[in-house]
Amino acid sequence: MAAVEELSEPDDLTADEREAVQHQLFRLADDEFVVAERYTEWQVKAPTLESDLAFSNIAQDELGHARLWYDLLQDWGAEESELIWERDPSEWRHSTLAELPFDEGDWADPVLRSYLYDVAEDIQLRALQDSSYPRIRDRVGKILGEEDYHREHAANWLERLCEEEESRARVQDALDRLFPHALTLFAPTDEAVEERIDELGIRSEPLVTMREEWLDEVIPFLESLGLSVDDAELPEQYDVHHSQLELPEHTGRDQSHTDAWFDLHDDFTHTYQELGRTSAERIMKDPDDE
Amino acid sequence: MNVDEVKDRAGPREFSPKDDLPEEYRKAATRMLEFHANSEIMGAFLERPFIRKAPSIERKMAFSAKVQDEIGHGQMLYRAAESLGVKTREEMLDDLANGDGKFLNCFHYPMESYVETPMIAFFVDGAAMRRQATLKSTSWEPYAHAMDKVCFEEGFHVKHGEAILYELMTGSKKEQEMTQEAFDEWWPRIIQFFGPTNEKSTHHGFASEVGLKQMSNDDLRTAFLNAYIPKAEKYGLEIPEEPRISKNDDGTYEVVEEDLDWDEFFTIAKNDYEPGVGQINGRKAAQDAVEWVRESLDSHENRLYGSSQPQAAD
Amino acid sequence: MIWEVFRQEKSGDYHKHCGNVHAPDREMALLFAEVQHGRRKPTNSLWVTPQKEIGEVDTEDTAFGGTTDKSYRWAMTYNFEAAASEVEESESEQASAERERKAQIEGGS
Repeated sequence: MAAVEELSEPDDLTADEREAVQHQLFRLADDEFVVAERYTEWQVKAPTLESDLAFSNIAQDELGHARLWYDLLQDWGAEESELIWERDPSEWRHSTLAELPFDEGDWADPVLRSYLYDVAEDIQLRALQDSSYPRIRDRVGKILGEEDYHREHAANWLERLCEEEESRARVQDALDRLFPHALTLFAPTDEAVEERIDELGIRSEPLVTMREEWLDEVIPFLESLGLSVDDAELPEQYDVHHSQLELPEHTGRDQSHTDAWFDLHDDFTHTYQELGRTSAERIMKDPDDE
Repeated sequence: MNVDEVKDRAGPREFSPKDDLPEEYRKAATRMLEFHANSEIMGAFLERPFIRKAPSIERKMAFSAKVQDEIGHGQMLYRAAESLGVKTREEMLDDLANGDGKFLNCFHYPMESYVETPMIAFFVDGAAMRRQATLKSTSWEPYAHAMDKVCFEEGFHVKHGEAILYELMTGSKKEQEMTQEAFDEWWPRIIQFFGPTNEKSTHHGFASEVGLKQMSNDDLRTAFLNAYIPKAEKYGLEIPEEPRISKNDDGTYEVVEEDLDWDEFFTIAKNDYEPGVGQINGRKAAQDAVEWVRESLDSHENRLYGSSQPQAAD
Repeated sequence: MIWEVFRQEKSGDYHKHCGNVHAPDREMALLFAEVQHGRRKPTNSLWVTPQKEIGEVDTEDTAFGGTTDKSYRWAMTYNFEAAASEVEESESEQASAERERKAQIEGGS
């Protein structure tokens, strides 16, 4: 991609620029926050004490990343209360992969979800390393520093669960269910705004390129484990033997969500509502002062 | 070693897995450790809904980290228990699931609202930490080693609990009232954390004689009340009239026993208290649902290393 | 074959890595370790384990404790006077651990 001009400080952005930066940030922040909600649901319910500890850590990492991205959205005056606790659930932009519920005990779900999600996250973060928006660029490194463990953790679990037919079948079920939603990781929030994100150099790769990169990585890996991606509906741009592009009915990115999201939202805003809170308590230093 | 020799030698961190210890010691230590480990797990189970229900992102992270730590404490304590060779971790976790495993009274009560969280996270954890600090000098070395790390981490838990209490008690009038109500409900249970006063149970006597237990429940209760009553008052909580508590000239406290519901306490101790049964069964369902994963890991391990060694024999 | 040796100075202490020995089996490793690593430093117990069974992950491979702010895990983040001496002690242990961890990260980068 051609060299792009550096964007200004938050306050000096044009309305169009600001909208593009905000869309990019909501993609990132909402994904991390919501996927972490599903991950923490495994706390005290993971298969062993050790795996419980490890997965809790990943959840905390993702929450920490969400915190950093929401913090950048506060540059335009909104508080955490408005960005998370009082924002209407129909305005959230996370991929539906993040919000899907799972059956109790379906450990194949978090392992596979995390694999699909973290490979995508890695690709997306690398496309932000040279972002024209300095506030994003400055935070990518720290976040990337925690991603290697996530991918290694997920891949190692998948390899072990796929050794035997019975547990592999469970992973296959999770794959059939999650894969179409994983594709929404690369769905546009709004075609025009996404194009602007690319033109302004906020990220260095368009969604479609990142999606191919992602497919090129995850499909061979999953197939090497004896899993079949054919059973999931794939985009036709992926020009091998896989068939039809079929995004699920709701992509999340466009603010359309599955019913489960609204229940989840009710649940995590419960205390805030119950206590009639109007602000969100901070414990830690401002990320800019770290 | 026979029991008399154990009593003679008993001192901080005196006995380790390489010592030939009598069954009585091994069983007593296992009972204590298993209870302690189970309590970590059930405490975590009780608090886990508030990871989701915490009302700010940083609070959510803190709750997640705290619940994670508790699981980590369980992990260390079950290992310390396994090293006595009496029960495997799997057996202890299965017993906890099927209702045979015992754990702290406070973790049998349901916790519905966020305003209740500091009752556990500040007061119960504070009480537990008092006890744990004394166990750094327990005679079973692996237990003491586990306590080194548990106590290292636990300061965060108590202060996190205190921060929530402070936040609630400096919040809206509604929050303050709800918190006081929660405190009224939890206070007697917190006092009962230390068991009946002048406890003369046979378990206690033996555990002290062989150096497993370091401080009597009465002394622990006094130390707790000395530190935490002023804190409660500082944040504007009113200490409920019952149980009646009076301070003696020597700094110790008298708690009027009959003001507390000991029938309930002993029902809980038998795992027969209804909400507690719900907690136990809830955790059992979660544990059963991931049995397939453990089986899958076991067969992977067997393929690599041959069929597994009996894990309790360290 | 190489055996890693862990020495415990006195009863109740932790076994800490102190070196290694060449030996053909566990019994010989213990005999050699006893003299090589236990003859002068105070020793209550020694462990030996085959070097090839030891796994390692180091700061080249990972960032222990993460790269983003995790101060919510630390007692000193919560600015209250400790309720009791054991809380205070825990906090001061945490403060020095986190200081050392940070110094290590800064030193390493």
